[in-house]
Amino acid sequence: MTSTMLDSITGVGGPSPEAVIRVRDVTKSFGGAAALKNVSLDVHAGEVHALMGMNGAGKSTLVKILSGAHNPDLGHIEVADRVQTQLTPRRARRLGISTVPQRRELVMSLTVAENIMLGDLPNRRSVVRWRSVADEARAALDGLGISIDVGHIAGDLTVAEQTMVEVAREVRRGGRVLILDEPTACLGADAAEQIRALVRRLRDGGVAVVYISHHIDEVLGIADRITVLRDGAVVRSGVTGDIDERGLVRDMAGRDVVSERPQRAAASRDVGLAVRDLSHGRSIDGFHVEVRKGEIVAVLGPAGDAQSRLFDLLSGRRRPDRGALCVDGRPVPLGSVSRALGSGLRCVTGDRRSLGLIPDLSIDENLLLAQDRLAGRRLHRSSALARRAAPLRDDYRVVSLAKNPPVGRLSGGNQQKVLLAKWLGTRPAACFLEDPTNGVDVAAMADIHTLIDALAREGVAVLLASSSAEEVMRLADRVIVVRGGRMVAEHEINGITRDELVATVLGGELS
Amino acid sequence: MSIGSPARTGASETAPQAPDRRWRLPDMRIPHSGLILMLILVVALASFQTDSFLTTTNLLNVLRQVSAGAVIAAGLTLLMTAGGMDFSMGSVVAVTTAVAAQLIAHDQPVWLAIVVSMAVATVLGLVNGLVVTFTKVAPFVVTLATATLLDGVFLVILEGLSVSVGAELSELGNGTTLGVPNLLVVAVIVLAATAFVMRYTVFGRDAFAIGGNEDVARLSGINVVRAKLVLYGLAGALSGLAGIMLLSRLAGSSPGTAGLPMQLTAVAAVVIGGTSLHGGRGTVVGTTLGVLLLGVVANVLNLLQISSYYHLISVGAVLLIAAVANQLHNRRK
Repeated sequence: MTSTMLDSITGVGGPSPEAVIRVRDVTKSFGGAAALKNVSLDVHAGEVHALMGMNGAGKSTLVKILSGAHNPDLGHIEVADRVQTQLTPRRARRLGISTVPQRRELVMSLTVAENIMLGDLPNRRSVVRWRSVADEARAALDGLGISIDVGHIAGDLTVAEQTMVEVAREVRRGGRVLILDEPTACLGADAAEQIRALVRRLRDGGVAVVYISHHIDEVLGIADRITVLRDGAVVRSGVTGDIDERGLVRDMAGRDVVSERPQRAAASRDVGLAVRDLSHGRSIDGFHVEVRKGEIVAVLGPAGDAQSRLFDLLSGRRRPDRGALCVDGRPVPLGSVSRALGSGLRCVTGDRRSLGLIPDLSIDENLLLAQDRLAGRRLHRSSALARRAAPLRDDYRVVSLAKNPPVGRLSGGNQQKVLLAKWLGTRPAACFLEDPTNGVDVAAMADIHTLIDALAREGVAVLLASSSAEEVMRLADRVIVVRGGRMVAEHEINGITRDELVATVLGGELS
Repeated sequence: MSIGSPARTGASETAPQAPDRRWRLPDMRIPHSGLILMLILVVALASFQTDSFLTTTNLLNVLRQVSAGAVIAAGLTLLMTAGGMDFSMGSVVAVTTAVAAQLIAHDQPVWLAIVVSMAVATVLGLVNGLVVTFTKVAPFVVTLATATLLDGVFLVILEGLSVSVGAELSELGNGTTLGVPNLLVVAVIVLAATAFVMRYTVFGRDAFAIGGNEDVARLSGINVVRAKLVLYGLAGALSGLAGIMLLSRLAGSSPGTAGLPMQLTAVAAVVIGGTSLHGGRGTVVGTTLGVLLLGVVANVLNLLQISSYYHLISVGAVLLIAAVANQLHNRRK
């Protein structure tokens, strides 16, 4: 079972020139807005086919059509040389098309073994045979070279491990075409490399991998073939070697996207935000920083390290064990949301789904959610709301097809802009931003960087938590590196190169 | 990540739509159109079956009967939209009728009986709110417990007997203003006020925000604790009002008045009206239609002289059908 697993799923074994999926002239629109226009592409066994495009370019719609969740309005899909009309998720799965979505779909309270075998638990007269469950699950993981104890609870695994378990489950169920939607989003460098290694093993075993990612470096490194979508149409589809980074960005954005450090006036001498001796359990210990007005200070660390605790502690959601906070020279008690807001500190979460936006409420209402409360408004009129939200929408370039849909229907990049607008539109005295470009495309990223530059130029003290060295190099004036909950280094951004910075994060010298 | 399925924009649709071969429900662009359709069907059926249904007397009677329930359902809509739940409102109604009836029976002035019993009801609501907010026990569990407890307290206050208030409250219970029953006037005012609060006040929008995502609401500067306490207190106060309304209509309080069965009907009406059990969504219009539908069904069964055993069966069936229809409707969107 173990060694033959990958051979068996390909049927023939080894890469073949035959496409396993052919998409032909597919068009799909929703309520008059075309999401896909005449899209054609081939997916081959034993190849990694990257699907790139900006937020809203049609990647998700294409994935939904491949996986049977939507049917095309025009055009068709061929799977294994047969035209598939009326593809349903169940049929697609039977044909070996599996999707590993961006959000993990594991039962977090069950073990890895049970998750892998879910829906197909080995049993004798309906009594589960736990030994076989563990054995078969272990075989499924071993077959893909994954070493995770099948007895662990899924919820205790790291995100990367959860992704791998999900991939193993899909392969065990007979997935011949695996669609991976941004499998390395929110992962640190090591974890992302583990995932990429797994993708390469899948490919070498003959699986067709459809790989969706915003990371251009990553795609150029891993993909055999790249298809770029823009505004619902294919603008380029070809072998990876023919495409360079610049061309890829131009294809995706439709223009050259430049995101370079602007010249900013020196920060003022006044300290806008000061944190002293912030400590909470083992996750963060003795953190301190002084951010002057008009300065951007970044806190950089491996994903999930001390910088990711700052949101909870500074916003007042959690009370730290020790520490002091000063905003604009005035002390602010920690552990109280209302006191933190009252001081003029605005904390923007990196987790917009669970801590940032209310998906069922409209864009406008989300934009003004905080502003109206801070202003102590009592009455609420939707016409007035639209009028007051309009400038925010313009300034932050929030784009939506419908007039004012629930914010949950927007693309990730637009949701992120709504989140930033919601907080930065409240005239902050100081600002804490957590991964502000999490899961957004290059153009939206450039927009958001420009917005943050502008914020600093207005004299706001900006503290930025990030796990991306590029972003830090682009935005920050100063960087603090954290690891294992402690501060390990502090540098002026002009005195360090990107590579030195990455080395420090990965465990270089103490300075 | 991508545009997913953008909202259907109604009249502004211009692009040709591809033919969809699948069978689908009639397009429900009008909010609550399914519910309205169901109500029309029941009314039509009833008018064919019995002449006495479509008479002014009977219709006004139906409206009088559902008034108290409508007041509870209004409070519950607001509370459930904020992600809360109160199973004890019917029991608070019962306790209110008992307290007021005993006070009146013991020769206390009517205004005092009303003030005291409604204050008791408000406090009971607040107690629910305090327990829910500060212990973080699921509101379902807390209020089911208080409901059971209060049903017992109710019997203790009545000492198991019926207590009559004579004609003391008949102006409210039987009187009319310009031909409209006073009970109905009160219910309409409460429903309209609730709808206004939900739509046009920041407090109402706070309820949507808290129900939609409590963490985000708190981080956005909404005082979630205070809002919840007010909502539970309001649920108690409205239960008190409903208690006075019920007492005035029945002219007395007796074991079996209100209690958990009344509450279940109110929950059914709210759910039929499309308010989400998870919070974040709810409308007073839907709730009103739900209350009317259940009231009309009960009335029709009465007129057709069908055994009261079938009453529960019909409420259950209506709830099930409406809940399934809501779910299908939401999924299509």
